[in-house]
Amino acid sequence: MIGVGKAKQYANVLDKPLSRGRQEVSLSAFAFLFSEMVQYNQTQVDNIAELERRLEDAGYAVGARVLELLCHREKGNKREIRLLHILGFIHSTVWKVLFGKGADSLEKGTEHEDEYMISEKELLVNRFISIPKDMGAFNCGAFVAGIVRGVLENAGFPAVVTAHFVPIEGQQRPRTTILIKFAEEVPDAYMFFSPVVH
Amino acid sequence: MIVCVAVVGHQNNPLYLQSFTEADDALKLHHVVHCSLDVIGERVNNPKRNAPALNETFLGLLYPTENYKVYGYLTNTKVKFIMVTTDLDVKDADARNFFRKFHAAYVDAVSNPFHVPGKKIASRSFGARVSTIVKSFGSGTTA
Repeated sequence: MIGVGKAKQYANVLDKPLSRGRQEVSLSAFAFLFSEMVQYNQTQVDNIAELERRLEDAGYAVGARVLELLCHREKGNKREIRLLHILGFIHSTVWKVLFGKGADSLEKGTEHEDEYMISEKELLVNRFISIPKDMGAFNCGAFVAGIVRGVLENAGFPAVVTAHFVPIEGQQRPRTTILIKFAEEVPDAYMFFSPVVH
Repeated sequence: MIVCVAVVGHQNNPLYLQSFTEADDALKLHHVVHCSLDVIGERVNNPKRNAPALNETFLGLLYPTENYKVYGYLTNTKVKFIMVTTDLDVKDADARNFFRKFHAAYVDAVSNPFHVPGKKIASRSFGARVSTIVKSFGSGTTA
């Protein structure tokens, strides 16, 4: 039987309620915009370090806003005050909202106490970019490093964040690692402190 | 009814200050907001033993003055929202609801790529949304 239990059929397409949309942006549009951004910055600077810094600053602005937006939208208005929690938040929620899936892995550095690494087999922003040999170790993932730095600094955990290529045997393209080094002001208490409510 | 709302940045710099009375004591309201910042700082740094969880955003009633009540809310980026009201019986749920809508308007204002974080919020639509939220707060508490 037609009609019983089915969704209302609207006679006029203008009467249909507006949907929220798929909350997605086309990859080609983003890749185009990002490549234009890199090219624009390339014409403005003289050396690679400056280019990396500019991409990172652009990412920082994004990170600051993403933090505010996500905490309101996803987290039910709870603040993050513990280090591991904020790293987990970046690694799952932020990555999922920005790139459609969680990051591949989150590791703690072995040499220094305050270093952490987020690795990804291939960063979305680097998918259509290949670095010429004469640019050395430059990585457009500096944009993503800037986003992470924006999120951490505005949450109260100042850090220096950089993006590196890590070559892996058996794979043509190297893996990308975002290295997070926290500043000394981040108190160790934040790492282990858990508020006990008596 | 609400007489004043304020948004204060993480270095206690004012980002947005709006009073909703025509009286001349707008400056007095600014003082009240300023003093309540101290209360927030003390709550964040020294949690009381039976206080709510340290990472809760809604701080609740900060302190009652002679004819005002001041409510506070702390976001993840240490930006504080202060609300001063003359209502005598404000329900907790109403205050939380107000701050939730206010937070949504704030997030939209900050997502503006032309907004410099740390500078005053200069968006007219933010002001208009805040006025709407403030007006709807009053009608929520009438029986």
